[in-house]
Amino acid sequence: MINSNADALGIIFPNSYDSFVPELVSERLMASIPFASRYRIVDFLLSSMVNCGIDNISLIVRKNYHSLMDHLGSGREWDLTRKKGGLNMVPPFAEKNVKVYNGRVEALASILRFLKAQKEKYVIMSDTNLIVNFDFKSLIDAHVESGADITIAYTKEPLSRDLLDMEVGAKDMYYTLELDGTRVREIHLNPKTSGEQNLLMNIYLLERELLIQQIREAYVKGHSYFERDIVMPNLNKLNVQGYLYEGYVARITSVKSYFDENMKMLDEKNLDSLFSANPIYTKIRDDNPTRYINGAKVKNVMAADGCIIEGEVENSILFRGVKVEKGAKVKNCVLMQDTVVEAGARLEYIISDKNVTVTVGQEITGTDTFPVYVEKHKRV
Amino acid sequence: MAKEMIAMLLAGGQGSRLYALTQKLAKPAVPFGGKYRIIDFPLSNCVNSGIDTVGILTQYQPMVLNEYIGNGQPWDLDRLHGGVHVLPPYQKATGSDWYKGTANAIYQNISFIERYDPEYVIILSGDQICKQDYSDFLRFHKEKGAEFSVAVMEVPWEEAPRFGLMVADENDKITEFQEKPKEPKSNLASMGIYIFNWDILRKYLIEDEEDPTSENDFGKNIIPNLLRDNRDMYAYRFDGYWKDVGTISSLWEANMEVLDPENSGINLFDEDWRIYSRNSGMTGHRVGANAVIENSMITDGCRVEGHVKHSILFAGVRVEPGAEIEDAVIMGGTVVGAGAVVKHCIVAENVVIGKNAIVGAMPSGGQKGVATVGSDVVIGAGAKIGPKAMVSKDVKDGEEV
Repeated sequence: MINSNADALGIIFPNSYDSFVPELVSERLMASIPFASRYRIVDFLLSSMVNCGIDNISLIVRKNYHSLMDHLGSGREWDLTRKKGGLNMVPPFAEKNVKVYNGRVEALASILRFLKAQKEKYVIMSDTNLIVNFDFKSLIDAHVESGADITIAYTKEPLSRDLLDMEVGAKDMYYTLELDGTRVREIHLNPKTSGEQNLLMNIYLLERELLIQQIREAYVKGHSYFERDIVMPNLNKLNVQGYLYEGYVARITSVKSYFDENMKMLDEKNLDSLFSANPIYTKIRDDNPTRYINGAKVKNVMAADGCIIEGEVENSILFRGVKVEKGAKVKNCVLMQDTVVEAGARLEYIISDKNVTVTVGQEITGTDTFPVYVEKHKRV
Repeated sequence: MAKEMIAMLLAGGQGSRLYALTQKLAKPAVPFGGKYRIIDFPLSNCVNSGIDTVGILTQYQPMVLNEYIGNGQPWDLDRLHGGVHVLPPYQKATGSDWYKGTANAIYQNISFIERYDPEYVIILSGDQICKQDYSDFLRFHKEKGAEFSVAVMEVPWEEAPRFGLMVADENDKITEFQEKPKEPKSNLASMGIYIFNWDILRKYLIEDEEDPTSENDFGKNIIPNLLRDNRDMYAYRFDGYWKDVGTISSLWEANMEVLDPENSGINLFDEDWRIYSRNSGMTGHRVGANAVIENSMITDGCRVEGHVKHSILFAGVRVEPGAEIEDAVIMGGTVVGAGAVVKHCIVAENVVIGKNAIVGAMPSGGQKGVATVGSDVVIGAGAKIGPKAMVSKDVKDGEEV
């Protein structure tokens, strides 16, 4: 495939929106949160990029990136072990910035030299709180066709409760667009408007040269935020275009939404619309197939390889290596990798993190509106 | 840098007794146990035993196998020095030859082995399901001061005449070799796994090649020649799980044994001895609201709406509502249509079984057999495939085979 290269490089911000899900990121970051039985959120973005011929991808991490490094390794599973480009993990530079960067401008300023040395014409930037199987090729096509300086992907949807309830001073912001045709006329920061909105996906496309120039200027002025300090004040000078994304999107804005978005994968329609376009790659664990032993009763379940099921499981997502022992009952749960539910235990509306053990006969119950989260390595 | 021991894996077998399953691929590439292929077992054994250089001798239908092995990365055999190498017969300045026999296949690759200057060479076979630590075997070989060792299994005396048998003294030294004898003097069956001192193997391969009457086979020629010369030959007793899956019924049986690791001894859930394979990359499997799954193994990418009992579903199998599957081995990508009844059989990859079709049957009275459907076959709605059938062509709606 000689035409496979998209002439774009990818920049991913794996810590963005960490503050939405404090429990889930206590030992990791947004990008490495497990999703849909065997993936991490970052897999979707990386695979989408790779499937569109983007093979030079940088991840600018802030903190808690150990689990992400462990997950990505050399990037082999995403076909990103390249001599040119490939996977490039950028941790904060301790000597240079004593405090870790704030906002995209500082983060990008720390890799300006790298950006200058690259060959790709375009840069695609993205956060990682969205789970999408994104077609970046059509984003690039739309950008070229419209002659835009910056193209911003958005969805049409009402603001969720989580966003409406967010405090004004919150660290992580969200944005909506006001459009004239496809041209962006205004960007609203943390709006509280009801009804359908043009909600930003925080996926941006622009030319590398333009990005370098804008970041240099903004950094000198002491600005931090790409949207607020670069895009918003320049809407008249720059041709900023909106790109409506109509594919499947799972947006993580809270622990509750994390639970709900996982549960939505139990509906085959959702599963197919997220996964059918292009393959999603992830780290391989070499588990054996999942084993159902006599006594197992399963109904409406998604389970990865390596599980051993001897009890009852209903409406649940099981990650790799989960064990449900005899007489245990699991209903409406998201059980991450290697969770063990011992004999006779009962779980309802639970999110268990990796390596949780629920001991014999224990009963833990959350509710639909408030699923209970059990932290990593916990024995209850 | 010299390697202490490298492995040569014989994977050229046509597997003609697997009929429909080996029309398009070599026996070692036949899928097994939900997400593996047979060759994953010897390859994983090598890596788990610390062997990092493996030559795979291929000949028959090598395409699937070549693609599957690739650069050897899934088995951690993508190495700077060593790693896995597929070795098909090739054209040399002096002419070219197919591999005439197992010994000849190794003979033609003497130069490959010499690149690693090994002290020992282990010869493996690509048609067995077995978890074995080859480093234990090598330790035995060294302790005995052997020039040649063969791994053997004790088999029931009444079955002994089906095997190549090693007669050994109380010190495990081999005194006689009997190939499928009518009157066995031993019940130690050869597993077809040998360790040779490389200088000995090399000498006998060259000598064998010069003998125009030889069949160039380890069992028929090399081992008898070693015995003739009173070489130091030892039998290494192995007592773990071992199964030659050369026939439909043994392949089916071995798959069923995977479902019962507590009693059968073949445990794929062994963290200390993982079997590696190339990954399908599919999502977790889906079990629908009305599905029933009993005592089965289900792999990534499956979608189950029907009833699955005591069966193995490989990656990406779809079981539509009302379908019934029992004692069956269903390989990757196959679709079992609504209301179909699939029992006591092996269905290969990417088969489409039409609505209400019947494939195989549970054994009853005189009717006993493992129905087999080859890959990519389409079985029409309402068609019936008998318990002894071997199907490798499409079957029309309502047709009986």
